[in-house]
Amino acid sequence: MKPIIEVKNVNKAYKKRRSKECVQAVDNVSFSVQKGEILGLLGPNGAGKTTTIKMICGLLVPDSGTIEISGIDNTKHRLRALKHISAVLEGNRNLYWRLTVRENLEYFAGNRGKSRKEVKERVEQLLHDFRLKEKEKELVNRLSRGMQQKLAIAVSMLAESDVILLDEPTLGLDVETGYEVRELLKSIVKEYERTVIISSHDMDVIQDICDRTVIINKGKVVTDDKIENLMRLFEVKSYIFNLGGLLTDQQLELLQNRFTEMTYTPDTIYSTIEVDLFQNEAIYELFDILKMENTPVESFDRVTVNFEQVFMKIVNGGEKICVG
Amino acid sequence: MRWINLFHANLRKEYIELKRYLPNTIAMVATFYFIFLGLFAGIQFIGDPSSAEANTQYLIVNYVFWFLGLMVIQTIGWEITNEAMRGTLEQLYMSPMGVWRIMAARLASSVVLNIMIITVLLFVTMATTGQWLNIDIITIIPILILTIISMMGVGFMIAGISIIWKQVSAFLQILQFVLAGLTFISVKQAPFLVYFPFVKGVDLVRDVMINGVSLSQIGIADFGILFGNAIFYFVLGLIIFILCERIAMRKGLLAHY
Ligand SMILES: Nc1ncnc2c1ncn2[C@@H]1O[C@H](COP(=O)(O)OP(=O)(O)OP(=O)(O)O)[C@@H](O)[C@H]1O
Ligand SMILES: [Mg+2]
Repeated sequence: MKPIIEVKNVNKAYKKRRSKECVQAVDNVSFSVQKGEILGLLGPNGAGKTTTIKMICGLLVPDSGTIEISGIDNTKHRLRALKHISAVLEGNRNLYWRLTVRENLEYFAGNRGKSRKEVKERVEQLLHDFRLKEKEKELVNRLSRGMQQKLAIAVSMLAESDVILLDEPTLGLDVETGYEVRELLKSIVKEYERTVIISSHDMDVIQDICDRTVIINKGKVVTDDKIENLMRLFEVKSYIFNLGGLLTDQQLELLQNRFTEMTYTPDTIYSTIEVDLFQNEAIYELFDILKMENTPVESFDRVTVNFEQVFMKIVNGGEKICVG
Repeated sequence: MRWINLFHANLRKEYIELKRYLPNTIAMVATFYFIFLGLFAGIQFIGDPSSAEANTQYLIVNYVFWFLGLMVIQTIGWEITNEAMRGTLEQLYMSPMGVWRIMAARLASSVVLNIMIITVLLFVTMATTGQWLNIDIITIIPILILTIISMMGVGFMIAGISIIWKQVSAFLQILQFVLAGLTFISVKQAPFLVYFPFVKGVDLVRDVMINGVSLSQIGIADFGILFGNAIFYFVLGLIIFILCERIAMRKGLLAHY
């Protein structure tokens, strides 16, 4: 099946206004999204998530590379490509604060060339689904942050476009509101059967809602895989060893040379080593080093990882991790 | 149909804002009313009574044209800068209609609303002063529309520049005076000015109001110049605007950063 979004070898550099130095915000990024898929775009601050999303939206022109939406090149036929996408880029800042909830929905529909009559039913549906019905006559600047965020998402759903892009949909919300918006997104996204790209540095959002994640760091794609695969990869390979004593300096040095991603927590009674073991031989080597001093191994176990740890490992590890 | 929906949505937004900011709107209406009253009264006292009506008309026409001209020139640039600051500009840029159409619709709505307000006020002023001007609306409207279209072109140029340079308010202030000057210059004094936007329109309307020229008496040549002028500046303005948009999309200038 031909993907609905295809990003191919895209590059984008910004020139800083004062210093004139160039920042390579997106560096040869490629990925694609299938129809109906929910993709998480994950990365630390400044990774290039927003830049990537804005290029897909046609708000930024890539320096090189192509982006196709439903087979339409979005730099050559920008307006035609836009019929297929809508986005929430800056959350509540994407709304008219001096208009009411309903007026915002109707105005944005009108701007896409739809009449109030045409969208009437959908507006009702969205007001209901987003639990905004009793606030429909309220001015946006009187709404809570979470309500505003919900309305911004509702506006993007109104367009009936195939693809919806959400840049940091839970940014700036408190834990509770963030959770609420997340739950709402989860149910809506399934119900409305859209293709969705969500960018976030909030792991919970991605893990909760998305099928697949593209992790970018410093403008480059580091991983592109199903979330469950990433979890499994690290779950299987990460071990914790509980030792009945301390390691000698020599042992520690050997271990650190062999296993770069190792953490050692010394304690006279109960030391621990946490280590990623990607090959089977590695585990024998580890035991060999322990055996040198007959260090007692009390127990060892697989580490249960959460997605956050997986993410940190991928981003800090730097190199591309291949799965499968 | 999409065009009509676009226009309707923007007309509605402008109307809602006029209603929601009622104190502002009332202040605007009151200002207009008093200026009109002043124009009517001033001429009565100072001028030669035999030419009073012509003079009043002359001043009012100049004032209305100056006001509408200024509004048309400034609005798009101002709206775009404002929306960029608030964070809604990128949302407008996500519309498959294109921002220039949205802005044209918004401007057209605001011109329509303003002309309605001005017309009503003019009649109210005439009623209060008991001085009835003989205004040939049928002749004035087509001239006004064509003039406004060429001014829209200038508005798009300024809007394009303001996307890239953000600060154009100082420039707009100078423009205000240039425009005021232009309304009082007759094409007879400086014939090359017919190729400017705006000037030919004001000149024709003056003819209509002072010399009683009617629509059928205006030559094809005069209308031709006005029409050509409108098309030329509108298209030029649009081209510059779209070029500026492209630059902004390359450099990442649509959002505040
Ligand atoms: N308009 C701009 N002009 C200049 N530099 C920019 C601009 N936008 C982004 N950058 C720079 O490009 C890089 C990538 O930024 P981007 O906003 O895409 O990252 P991000 O992943 O969205 O980060 P965040 O999590 O902070 O939102 C950063 O180094 C940023 O400073
Ligand atoms: Mg961002």
